[in-house]
Amino acid sequence: MKAFAFVLAGGLTLAATSALAQAPNDAQIAHIVVTANQVDIDAGKLAAERGTNADVKAFGEMMAKDHTGVNKLASDLAAKLKVTPQDNPTSQSLKAGGVKNVSNLKTLKGAAFDKAYMDNEVAYHQAVIDAVDKTLIPSAQNEELKALIVKVRPAFVAHLEKAKSVLASLK
Amino acid sequence: MLTLIAVATSGLVGCNDRPDGAAAKPHPTTHTITMEAVSYKPEVVTAKVGDSIVWVNKDPYPHTATAKDRFDSKEMLPDKSFTFTATAPGEVHYVCTFHPTMKGTIVVK
Repeated sequence: MKAFAFVLAGGLTLAATSALAQAPNDAQIAHIVVTANQVDIDAGKLAAERGTNADVKAFGEMMAKDHTGVNKLASDLAAKLKVTPQDNPTSQSLKAGGVKNVSNLKTLKGAAFDKAYMDNEVAYHQAVIDAVDKTLIPSAQNEELKALIVKVRPAFVAHLEKAKSVLASLK
Repeated sequence: MLTLIAVATSGLVGCNDRPDGAAAKPHPTTHTITMEAVSYKPEVVTAKVGDSIVWVNKDPYPHTATAKDRFDSKEMLPDKSFTFTATAPGEVHYVCTFHPTMKGTIVVK
């Protein structure tokens, strides 16, 4: 089960380490942000529906709502700046990891589902924060895009804290 | 004579309705706290009994302002507000039930 968390996180680790090789441009950063959010929205909706533990379901709902909020900000800004989000290997890797995670979760139920979902959420949010800090913020050229990523970072930190606390309560 | 002056003066200043010229009770004030970047701004508010505290959600995600047994805004969507009137002195610590890193304090005097 943990393997999937790593597959997912792998995409973002790629984003973090590739900062040394080739920084993403703003259009790619916008795409990565939207993709990263969508991946968590999809997993969150599944958990809200399929989770057993009340905190797990509530966490899933919060992920869906919060990441939808961030995506709206990101889409509004992209439209304002006339930037078309550009697909890229990091986004593709994130998307593939997300699909794999959801497929795996769909084979699980009860406590096994809850644990697998929360394990993944902890790893995922840690990876998102790392990518934000090491790649997305440093590479963003447009000041408004950079400011947006900085502004939403605390939400991911709050998610990580909540995910750890929910995971701990499941043990 | 003094009574008249007191009433007249307070008439100029504001809204003392007391005919006996006693010291005017301070006006209830409204304090606004915004929810932004997953935090309450300002984080600490000092208020008087009778004041109103209004939270406004400026973030793109839902938040709450919750102090067990004191007040609970329940889910506040972006751009929504919630008002609490301070009726007793003391320190009230509150949190967002969705985001555990989000904490605030109201000091009521």
